[in-house]
Amino acid sequence: MAAAAELKLLEKSLGLSKENKYSAQGERQIPVLQTNNGPSLTGLTTIATHLVKQANKEYLLGSTAEEKAVVQQWLEYRVTRVDGHSNKEDIHSLLKDLNSYLEDKVYITGNNFTLADILLYYGLHRFIVDLTVQEKEKYLNVSRWFCHIQHYPGIRQQLSSVVFIKNRLYTNSH
Amino acid sequence: MPSASAGRKNQEKPREIMDAAEDYAKERYGISSMIQSQEKPDRVLVRVRDLTIQKADEIVWVRARVHTSRAKGKQCFLVLRQQQFNVQALVAVGDHASKQMVKFAANINKESIVDVEGVVRKVNQKIGSCTQQDVELHVQKIYVISLAEPRLPLQLDDAIRPEVEGEEEGRATVNQDTRLDNRVIDLRTSTSQAVFRLQSGICHLFRETLINKGFVEIQTPKIISAASEGGANVFTVSYFKNNAYLAQSPQLYKQMCICADFEKVFCIGPVFRAEDSNTHRHLTEFVGLDIEMAFNYHYHEVLEEIADTLVQIFKGLQERFQTEIQTVNKQFPCEPFKFLEPTLRLEYCEALAMLREAGVEMGDEEDLSTPNEKLLGRLVKEKYDTDFYVLDKYPLAVRPFYTMPDPNNPKHSNSYDMFMRGEEILSGAQRIHDSQLLTERALHHGIDLEKIKAYIDSFRFGAPPHAGGGIGLERVTMLFLGLHNVRQTSMFPRDPKRLTP
Repeated sequence: MAAAAELKLLEKSLGLSKENKYSAQGERQIPVLQTNNGPSLTGLTTIATHLVKQANKEYLLGSTAEEKAVVQQWLEYRVTRVDGHSNKEDIHSLLKDLNSYLEDKVYITGNNFTLADILLYYGLHRFIVDLTVQEKEKYLNVSRWFCHIQHYPGIRQQLSSVVFIKNRLYTNSH
Repeated sequence: MPSASAGRKNQEKPREIMDAAEDYAKERYGISSMIQSQEKPDRVLVRVRDLTIQKADEIVWVRARVHTSRAKGKQCFLVLRQQQFNVQALVAVGDHASKQMVKFAANINKESIVDVEGVVRKVNQKIGSCTQQDVELHVQKIYVISLAEPRLPLQLDDAIRPEVEGEEEGRATVNQDTRLDNRVIDLRTSTSQAVFRLQSGICHLFRETLINKGFVEIQTPKIISAASEGGANVFTVSYFKNNAYLAQSPQLYKQMCICADFEKVFCIGPVFRAEDSNTHRHLTEFVGLDIEMAFNYHYHEVLEEIADTLVQIFKGLQERFQTEIQTVNKQFPCEPFKFLEPTLRLEYCEALAMLREAGVEMGDEEDLSTPNEKLLGRLVKEKYDTDFYVLDKYPLAVRPFYTMPDPNNPKHSNSYDMFMRGEEILSGAQRIHDSQLLTERALHHGIDLEKIKAYIDSFRFGAPPHAGGGIGLERVTMLFLGLHNVRQTSMFPRDPKRLTP
């Protein structure tokens, strides 16, 4: 989805009532936010971080120094590895890695819901929506995480809800 | 002065004479003259499968193929193979065999057919690599009846190696095209022997079950004057000064037999579809097993008979062909085939609901795509634990023109499909037996009435309500055994790219 649309979703999910106006820059249409009393902010993660602070929800950026670093790492991952890639092989390689990563974590950073979960959910939605039942079962941990985030109040909004089957169809279940 | 070489010659000659004299076994081995029915020896040949402990210490004659032979010093170990069974045989220098005989045995080309006389001996340790594990044959005589050429186009051991084992251990397997190009040899493998014995069982059980239910077997023509199911996929043959077609199904003739008062009929015969489909489950020629039956008041009378017939086949296969099923599983492991009694019957709208619940988007009157059929199969397996089920009340829009519409809902029809392991094996329905309604539906489908005049005429002079369906022998064999390509279950398969052997 376009960056401006995503940022609007983010504003609503953070509970921000005032809607900002975003412009786009360059070939890749990178979002730009002109603030009233400061320099313009460029880039999805920069603007998102700003919005989080605006909404007084800094815990979404991580509590400990380590957690903050992990959040930033995954925001960067989102923009470099997820955006702009539509190649099937790349996507599946990404989902495979993410699936292993999420094996022992409830949220991206471990045990706490952060901005990393929100932006990865928005970024991956267009791929997860097209996965077959078998693929969703293959990437079981990604499915579990995605299903959890899409049920978070205020996050999904008008994005389509992806169906996940609770029972295993493809691995030996009987 | 005698030269050194002359002296050597003199030394060699006596040894030669000694060797010939020493071959005390020379009458007991060799290449036989071609069997042209010269004689009728009073001799009983024992089957390899009967070489068991019960025959320990008996002297027997066996005719089998040489599967392998290898020399080890003064001994030669052979594996003799007969269809699905094999046994170890030993030629050892001793009272009966000379070292020349051992050498001869070790050099017999693989696949040659041999007649062997030997003693059945109990072994101390089970021979795991053979089907006859408790005995081996101590050879006293060995004659080659038919010699194979030394270079085989494929190795039988490679042909039965499981894919996984091939990949993991880096050993050769044989790809499908090579097998099909050398089908005669490929069919000798234990797996192929088992597959086609089981297939023969399916035909037999189909016939047996239906005859017990009072059905009559009929034969229908395959050369016909007009395309039966729809013009596109027919083969044309030249018929004297005109053209004729190869039948796409026995549909019309089955129905005509019902109008001719045979009430319950079945037929087994070739079906020809000129469909340029290169998939794992399509052939251009296959064997159709078709059923048609008049009923009293409701087409479910027929539906239940068809489902029961299939269940009787599954049970019969599991009872009588366990050996074959296990043999195939060794190379192609799979879950045993599961089914319910009575057969599970779902309605199309239930199936739609299950698919939608799993996230699939489908219109109410949309046909099931192959991926959706397979997903539905998985959902049904998960929910009901069955590999076989009936899907009833298909949308009328996606069925042939002769399908009877549902009396309660004009968008539905009295038609059904049956599935094995998530793949369709049978399409059937109550047929329209009224010539007027049939004409209406044909017009609705844009069919040229002239082309189906003979068909419509069959219903003009009193026609009973009837229904039926047909299955493909190769597909049912494939799905029962959990195999993945219909060419594995067709002896000499025909597809858009293959016309031989």
